[in-house]
Amino acid sequence: MKPFSGRFRSALIIGGQGIRARKLRTFLSMISLFLGVLGVVAAQAGQVIAHRALVASTELTMGVDGTRQIYVSSQENVGDMVMETAKGRPDVVAMLATNAIIGEPKVRPVNEGGMAVDGSSGGYGGPMLECDEFGNCVNPNEGLPMGQAVELRVVALTADVRQFRPLRLQSGQWVDFASAPSLAPRLVLNKAAAEAFSMYHVPAEMRFTGSTANSTPRFVGVVDDGVGSPQAYVRSDELLNWMPVDALSNPMFGGPEILAAPTATDFIETLRKKLVGLGGRAEDVYVNEIYAADRMPMELDLMRWVFLGVSILVLLIGSAGILNVGLATVGERIEEFALRRAVGTPRLLLAGIVLAETLLTGLLTALAAIGVGIAGLAAAGRVFGDRQPMLQGVAFPWEAGVAGVAAGLIAGVLGGLVPAARAARIPIATVMRA
Amino acid sequence: MTAAQATAAELTAPMATPLIRVTGLTKTLKGQDEPRPILSGVDLTLHSGESIAVLGRSGSGKSTLLSLIGLFDRADGGQYLLGEQDITRLPERKAAALRSAHFGFVFQRFFLLKHLTAAQNVAMAMVNGQGWLPRRKRKARALAALDQMGIAHLAKHKPPRLSGGEQQRVAIARALVREPKILLADEPTGALDTDTGNIVVEALRSATDRGCGLILVTHDHDHAAKMQRVLHLDHGVLSPMEVGR
Repeated sequence: MKPFSGRFRSALIIGGQGIRARKLRTFLSMISLFLGVLGVVAAQAGQVIAHRALVASTELTMGVDGTRQIYVSSQENVGDMVMETAKGRPDVVAMLATNAIIGEPKVRPVNEGGMAVDGSSGGYGGPMLECDEFGNCVNPNEGLPMGQAVELRVVALTADVRQFRPLRLQSGQWVDFASAPSLAPRLVLNKAAAEAFSMYHVPAEMRFTGSTANSTPRFVGVVDDGVGSPQAYVRSDELLNWMPVDALSNPMFGGPEILAAPTATDFIETLRKKLVGLGGRAEDVYVNEIYAADRMPMELDLMRWVFLGVSILVLLIGSAGILNVGLATVGERIEEFALRRAVGTPRLLLAGIVLAETLLTGLLTALAAIGVGIAGLAAAGRVFGDRQPMLQGVAFPWEAGVAGVAAGLIAGVLGGLVPAARAARIPIATVMRA
Repeated sequence: MTAAQATAAELTAPMATPLIRVTGLTKTLKGQDEPRPILSGVDLTLHSGESIAVLGRSGSGKSTLLSLIGLFDRADGGQYLLGEQDITRLPERKAAALRSAHFGFVFQRFFLLKHLTAAQNVAMAMVNGQGWLPRRKRKARALAALDQMGIAHLAKHKPPRLSGGEQQRVAIARALVREPKILLADEPTGALDTDTGNIVVEALRSATDRGCGLILVTHDHDHAAKMQRVLHLDHGVLSPMEVGR
């Protein structure tokens, strides 16, 4: 180890001296390489950030990787069966949704159908109809005047869903599953709902589709759930004080959705057996494993390859710059290298010295490019953060740093190999006959 | 006894354990023109503490001989012993290690690195991948070597600020800093005036007081006369020469 260590240190010392002796030339060779490495860093950082944003969005709306997403075909008593089976299990969350209107009594909501109040996204876009068993539907709001009320989707939860969907708390508190259920349902709004209620300050009365009576809701917190239309989360037992389970499992609002940990295989088996007991088929329990990579859009992948291709091209140009400077430098340093060989420096070490210089140049360039990348990302976050939420508070991805260092070192090797080989071949007799 | 044997006997000093013994060394330069024989059977022995001057006209092969002895190049024929070790055919890696361990070199041009100080130029001989000395020890040895040459006060000066004589003494300090057994000097006074040349030759000769063997290639008969033996290289063969002292 020691001889290698001595050689390695010798190469570093001599390489460092060489760089210091030719600061301007080193700087010039760094410029083109800098752009190449910055391209690699930007491409990698962009790809990682976009991927993370996508994964984060998928996690919010679908679930974290590995989560089992379970759907059960709608049929009579299924909601009740699902809620009962999921009850008390920390590794399973059953969710049933219904629509609710919160605001002035006996008025039509400002966003009929539960779309975003600014009309930007989500929701049905029309009145929520109530249908009987024969398919005869009526608009419960028909004839009512437009008033200060907001329609939203209310999701009833049997347990804390955040273990599967990491909803980000924006203010207040999350649904409290530890305390006794409250008669006044405690709602946690999503951002779209919070925005709607900040625009329409309305008396608090909540009426559900299928509810037996209107309740007084309490807003306890706001979360970011990645959903663009107004939505609220509530404990299922608090909601079921006001409506039967059947109303919640109304096919109009979709069947129950269940999120389960990968280990909850017994739950799925129980669910299937109970469904068969209700007269259904075991195959009507659909299980889907969430894997974010499946949702990677092709455009993102294509963009990544295009960026990478351009970066490699620029990197090659940078390497050519280093190669050019390296060859010129070796030509100038023939006597120095011959002298170093005369004092006992092995050929291999001489080659190592030249490589060490280009590698140091590549490394310094990479560090500079990474520094600029970090500063650029921070600046972009400050300038464009308001318009691009994915840039808000985003940290520089370590993968981009690694890619930048690797690119710098690869360029150093590519640009240094030929000069290194030439330096090693310089005959010592050069100094004798000079 | 043949004439060749007699010459070899004359060239071999009557001291024990030679540092190097060269016998029948030949070298032919192969360029684009016809091959040109430079050395055609050189015999030479150098003992510890001995100084030898090699005289000869330009192109006679003095520098080639020195490059073979210094393991810069490999002879076409003959035998080369370093102590008891036959190093006639040595791979480059081992030759580099021997150069580092046993040889010091001084050239006509000083070959100091302009971007380094005098002390760093001396220390560079210790940063050659053959073993490792910590920075502090390298610095101390470099300063000691410069002190031997009487120029320790110039340690922080870079070559452009030094005179020719000072630069050559830095080069000698560089050659001596690893305490070599053999010092090879190729026309070290060629670029210096007479007085400065004398100082440099004295500095080289003083190394033999510490047991170092010295081979000095020179055109200057006065400098050659300061060596213990004077040899003349002509037509590829070394022969003893009398020089007025």
